[in-house]
Amino acid sequence: MSRVSLQNIVKCYGAVEVVHGIDLEVQPKEFVVLVGPSGCGKSTTLRMIAGLEEISDGALRIGERVVNNIAPKDRDVAMVFQNYALYPHLNVSENIAFGLRIRKTPKAEIAGTVAEVAEILGLTEYLDRRPADLSGGQRQRVAMGRAIVRHPEVFLFDEPLSNLDAKLRTQMRAEIKRLHKRLGVTSIYVTHDQVEAMTLADRIVVMRDGYIEQVGTPMELFNNPVNTFVAGFIGSPPMNQITADLIGGDDAPAAMMNGAKIALPKLEALRNSEGRKIVVGVRPEHISIAPTDGASAMSIDLDLIETLGSEALLHTTVSGVPFVAKAETHGSVAHLDDLGQLYIRPDLIRVFDADTGMVLDQKLAS
Amino acid sequence: MANMNLYSRGDKVFVAANMFLVGLFTLSTLYPFIYIAAVSFSSGFQAAAGNVVIVPLDFTWAAYERVLSDNEFWRSYGNTFIYTIGGTIMSLLIIIPGSYALSRPHLKGRRFFNLMVAFTMWFNAGMIPFFLNMRDLGLLDSYFGIIIGFAVNGFNIILLRNFFEGIPESFEEAARMDGANDFQVLWKVYVPLSKPAIATITLFCLVSRWNGFFWAMILLKDEEKLPLQVYLRRIIVELTGDEEFTAAAMSAAFSVQTVTAAIIVCSIIPVLIVYPFIQKYFNKGILLGGVKE
Amino acid sequence: MTDVNKTGVVVQPLASKTAGQLTRWERLLIILKRDWQLYLLLAPTIIWLLVFLYKPMYGLQIAFKDYSIFRGIVGSPWVGFEHFETLFNNDQFIRAIRNTIAISFISLCVGFPVPILLAIMFNEIVNQVFKRTAQTIVYLPHFISSVIIAGIVIAAFSPSSGIVNTFIKALGFDPVYFLTRPEWFRPIFIGTSIWQEAGFSSIVFLAAIAGVNPSLYESAVVDGASRWQMIWKITIPSILPTIIIMLIIRIGNMLEVSFEMIILLYQPATYEKADVINTFIYRQGIQGGQYDVAAAAGLFNAVVAFVLVITANSIARRYSKTSLW
Repeated sequence: MSRVSLQNIVKCYGAVEVVHGIDLEVQPKEFVVLVGPSGCGKSTTLRMIAGLEEISDGALRIGERVVNNIAPKDRDVAMVFQNYALYPHLNVSENIAFGLRIRKTPKAEIAGTVAEVAEILGLTEYLDRRPADLSGGQRQRVAMGRAIVRHPEVFLFDEPLSNLDAKLRTQMRAEIKRLHKRLGVTSIYVTHDQVEAMTLADRIVVMRDGYIEQVGTPMELFNNPVNTFVAGFIGSPPMNQITADLIGGDDAPAAMMNGAKIALPKLEALRNSEGRKIVVGVRPEHISIAPTDGASAMSIDLDLIETLGSEALLHTTVSGVPFVAKAETHGSVAHLDDLGQLYIRPDLIRVFDADTGMVLDQKLAS
Repeated sequence: MANMNLYSRGDKVFVAANMFLVGLFTLSTLYPFIYIAAVSFSSGFQAAAGNVVIVPLDFTWAAYERVLSDNEFWRSYGNTFIYTIGGTIMSLLIIIPGSYALSRPHLKGRRFFNLMVAFTMWFNAGMIPFFLNMRDLGLLDSYFGIIIGFAVNGFNIILLRNFFEGIPESFEEAARMDGANDFQVLWKVYVPLSKPAIATITLFCLVSRWNGFFWAMILLKDEEKLPLQVYLRRIIVELTGDEEFTAAAMSAAFSVQTVTAAIIVCSIIPVLIVYPFIQKYFNKGILLGGVKE
Repeated sequence: MTDVNKTGVVVQPLASKTAGQLTRWERLLIILKRDWQLYLLLAPTIIWLLVFLYKPMYGLQIAFKDYSIFRGIVGSPWVGFEHFETLFNNDQFIRAIRNTIAISFISLCVGFPVPILLAIMFNEIVNQVFKRTAQTIVYLPHFISSVIIAGIVIAAFSPSSGIVNTFIKALGFDPVYFLTRPEWFRPIFIGTSIWQEAGFSSIVFLAAIAGVNPSLYESAVVDGASRWQMIWKITIPSILPTIIIMLIIRIGNMLEVSFEMIILLYQPATYEKADVINTFIYRQGIQGGQYDVAAAAGLFNAVVAFVLVITANSIARRYSKTSLW
């Protein structure tokens, strides 16, 4: 299996630059997910790797080979498209075999490989059907079969689950993950859905406006977002972000916002900067409804409770600013009804610079 | 909407009146064909005297026997088949690949080439330069001239191009990643995906070839090569216009009127045979492919 | 000519350069290498257009030359606008312009509303079988050749044997030889075109009506509107943009009178009302051999048509972002 390496990859449409010099190393067998809002350049990047878009500048390597000017078919990559692009005039087995036929693979070999792939994907009994007669999930599997059958060095996925309903999406997500475990092919996967990114990825690449914001494992991104954008994008519901003034000196730093006060960790980066504008980031999951060790209390007005089952989302306001917390229900939400205070552990708080949006170094003051 | 009980009395009157008017228009469209068919099966005497209205009078096959025993009729019928089939194949061979290439967004110079096609729809050199050009190319009086000279028209190219453009590009991309070249993408993916549009264009070509007469009349002088419509025109316009001939040619069995009518019927039949196939595509909106939103 | 790039792998010089470093020619080479098959597919169309449509445009220069077959297009001497002067001093040409405008204008006024009316009426038919049958029949004449249509017209209007005169005689009047009477030419010609094309032209409007949101009608029914009111308050306003576009396009194609049909139906006796620019060109050029004068008339026609079409199209485009190409 090959590594994929992007060095200073740029994409311009005419004079407009949409991808601004991206660097990324995808390790062999790694599953990397590109995620970001629409228009962030993730699909364009994927299509440049596939060879469907010209690379305006930079070097793209698959394995050790520079493939900037190599045709898609010679890059040894396979792609699953958002709309699957299954040929309606061919049946499932012909669809899967299409690439092999084009490459003039011997007939007997094609039959064997197609049967094998169909087996892996559970499509054996549908081989004679036309795509129109398949369910959404089956079509999705045929699309993957068409990619697998060629034993490519790299799999590319372009939002492959976005045409499925929520339930099927969860199911197919697991199937893709399982398939990756089984085949171990280097995979690059594009989605705008952060849940998909979190569940599938070995490493996530968060993109915005043609730049890479952060690269890391799902947990790294969840725990240590480098800026407010990543903090807001990863996690559902997203991290609470409250703009506030720094008060309390070096010994007891706290954020002050419309009279509400939140104790902050004693960071090196917060020293000698009283009055500075900061953004306080707290994950809804990191808030508790009962006092815990070292946690500081915060008064809230409870606005609305959304029951999810084992958990509930508490929509509250802190001095008029929306603030979301997640709480366990233990079978009932009655105990949440007259909640007046929430508890936050300072060490779980992330502090960002209000101007740049960048996270402050988490090194504690000695 | 189909539940008539929901209609008020005024609406019922309205619906009935509307149906009557549409029926009337439809019948008036149909009537001339019935009239001609009736004339073709009537005796020459009844037809020449103008007695035929709806049903054949003194039913006879005489006019058809006369037409079908005419070598010139069969020859021109055969020629029309050559022009129609040959011309349609030629059109498809040129138009399908051309429209496909023009529909590819990554084709460099695409705007220019498309403008080149569109311009021919806005500006036409006209009859005389076209005629002189055909003459200079040595295509007067030749089967090939008729077949190649009218193979392409901007409207068909644009119609098919728009259809190709409507096919998601991922089909091309998927095929390309599977290793297909442009020929294979067109032949194995886009042509099968465009069957309805190609069928529509084929039918357009067939019908317009079958019906074409003006240029055949101008470009062909050799009797041996004339298509049916030119032969027909000669009979209809040149003979029936001549009242003296009409009177002289009248006979008990058939007359110029019945023979003309019989030829008309014979020449409509192939159109009626393909017509149901054309009809299939009316409602698919493909005919409107030229109108781009 | 190979070099070693950063990773130490030997690659072709082209591939070793990043895209930003390529020269214009290298880019062109890459495009040709990538798309040569596409250009090959395009070639027949472009060659055909050049040989059969663009070459005649070059041949149009004979409109400004004293053309003779022996000297050819290039060898014939220039005469400037002489042929145009001849044309505009020719009563027949002036008459042809007048007839072209008159026939188009009357066709427009009389013929344009018919397909709209038909489409609305078709839409109001409840019985689907009846509707489909009627549509099938009404579309048919569009697919019949003008020779046959002309044949039917000539047969039906014949003074001795035609059905029309049979009725006139039955009513006790003298038969009329319609096709030799100038005053009858336009009614017959325009009537025939409406008969032939109205049904087929209604498709565009039917498609527009089909695009109207059905909930508009449903809420009108709930509000107690009659069918008649729904036509005026919903159907017509909804398809008005289409009507306006089609009208503009139609005006743009004013000069495109179906002269093939006129050639089939007219006679010297009816020239004064029937002769249009294209039939004039046909007689002068093809039948009379005056290629240069006829080409000049054709050029005049083409330029006016071009201006009309371009204007109409740009208006249509501005009006609704819909255009014919």
